[in-house]
Order: sequence, then C-alpha cells, then structure tokens
Amino acid sequence: MKHSQLKEIIKKKASKTEFAIVTNLKNGLSEIYEPDKSLSKEFEAHKKQIDNFFKLKKNGVIENTEIFVETYIRPIKVIIVGAVHIAQYIIDFAKSLNFEISIIDPRGYFATSERFPDMKIIDKWPNEAFKEIETNENTALIALTHDPKIDDPALQHALNKKFYYIGALGSKKTHENRCQRLKEAGFSDEQINSIHGPIGIKLGGRSAPEIALSIIAQLVSETYKK
Amino acid sequence: MKNSFDEKILEEALDWIEASQKVVLATVIQTWGSSPRQVGSRMIVNEKGDFSGSVSGGCVESAVVRECIGLIKDNKLCKKIEFKVSNESAWEVGLACGGEIAVYLEQIN
Repeated sequence: MKHSQLKEIIKKKASKTEFAIVTNLKNGLSEIYEPDKSLSKEFEAHKKQIDNFFKLKKNGVIENTEIFVETYIRPIKVIIVGAVHIAQYIIDFAKSLNFEISIIDPRGYFATSERFPDMKIIDKWPNEAFKEIETNENTALIALTHDPKIDDPALQHALNKKFYYIGALGSKKTHENRCQRLKEAGFSDEQINSIHGPIGIKLGGRSAPEIALSIIAQLVSETYKK
Repeated sequence: MKNSFDEKILEEALDWIEASQKVVLATVIQTWGSSPRQVGSRMIVNEKGDFSGSVSGGCVESAVVRECIGLIKDNKLCKKIEFKVSNESAWEVGLACGGEIAVYLEQIN
C-alpha cells in the first residue's frame, strides 16, 4: 500500500464515508472502492462481487480470486440526552469503540465544552436538537436526565424513528411512571417494552464509571444483535 | 452487521511512517474453523520489530513479526502466509484453538 493511499483511507474514515479497500494479494496493488465510482482495470472485472461484499458489509477474499475486500462502515450514531457525570464516563469508554456521539442538554451549565472537550454538544431541547441530527434505525439513544421534560420528548422521537437501542436511566419506579406517560401519549406496549429501563446490564456497580460501563456493555451487546 | 469496533491501527501506522519508520501492515484475510480474530483484524510491525494490534490471540504474532522484518529486509512489497493447527515442533507459531488463518503482509511505501 502506498503512503498516499493510507492517508486517503484515514481521511475517508474520519469523514464517516462508507467505502472499501480492494487489494490484489498477488501483486500488492490496492485501491479505494466507492459504490458510485468506477474501478481501475485491475479490479473492474470483479466489480459485481466487490459490490456484493460492500452491500453485505463483509470482509474477505472473493472466491476463486486473489482479491481481498475490506469494507468500512459508518460509525453508529449514539445520542446522549443529559450532559451529566455518567455521560463523561460513557464518552471515555466509547473512545476506543466506533461510535459517533452527540450530546443533547438544554441546561447550559451542564453542557459545557470544559466538561466535554471535543464533543458535539447541542444546547437545545430535544425536539429542536433532533432537527440538527439525522437519525434512523441505526441510531441509539441514551437518556440520562431522568427529567421527563427532557427525556420524554427524546424517547418519543427515538421510538417513532425506531432507534435500534433506547435506554433510559432511572429506578424501577421512575421507569414505571415513564412507561405510563408514554402509554398515555399513545405508544404501544411493544414500543414501550423495547426501552431498556432501568438502563444497563446488571453489573451491580453504583459509581458513575460503573454505571457508564454497564450502559456501554448493553449498547455493544444490542449492536451485535442487529 | 454493525461493527462497533475500530482499533485505529491504520492511524497508528501513519504516525509511525511519519516518524520515518518502515511499516508492514499484517491483515487477517481468511479464517477456517475457530480462529481468535475475525477477517480484517490487523497489526503493524516496524523494522525494529515493534508491533501494535493483533492477528490472533497472541499465538502467531511472534512469527508475523519475524516475517514482517524479513519483508522489510528483502524490500519486498507483499506476502501471504498461512498458519495452521499447532504441532509439537512449532508450538509457538501454531493456533492452539485448532483454527487456521491466512495473513497478508504488505509494506507501506
């Protein structure tokens, strides 16, 4: 691989583009594949198979060839509502994982760049904030404020947009009340039951980093279930 | 599949190159049976034998490092190597798990 190509790959990863690297294992030639761009003569004959690997987000050697395909997928978007202490640890853990995190908190004194350096913080109410973020069924929501005024609109948005993971912090009692409010707002039992509440796997921890770890563990586990 | 893991090995490779080191990228390209790391797993090795990342659970890394140093010395662009189930005479370069892996080495130039 050429130095310039390595740079190009890293740039593409940083810009969250989906692409693949195709390599001829015999002669070492490699290039970047993008679905809407044509390939060089070296790989053109295998375009169909490469398209297929890319579609399936698969890595591997194309059968009966010496061509290796490695696909790069967009990181999963994770939205945290509540720029609270636990959120700081979630971000610490998520640094080594491929998640793209945004934080929503309308309370300006929480969502400061000093508390969350290098993070995208949206200092708005959820309904306004979601206008700035493209979300879909590959998005995850972690609601941490346990304030219905802030969490509920975010949860409703996540349910409507069918986020693959929705978790909400709070005790069993808090969660029961939350479920009741969502029911009154017209959400089905199936939708409400899809919310992970109380959030996180049963880890037994109580401190902020321990709770953050249990949330991250649940998020990763749900990510691989999909 | 929505892989949530990115080990940032390529980014590290670039840092090494920009620090004037010679770097070989080792990538798992095929696996058979139970193998410790999935296809696409990576490690990088420089001319001194420093390495980062992994292609197995520690079973074949030492052999990969040797091969990578060899590639740099011979100034070769690429090479494919396969590792099979371990046997008594080569315990440190086999896969105890009973799997097989193919690793592709390529020099970044």
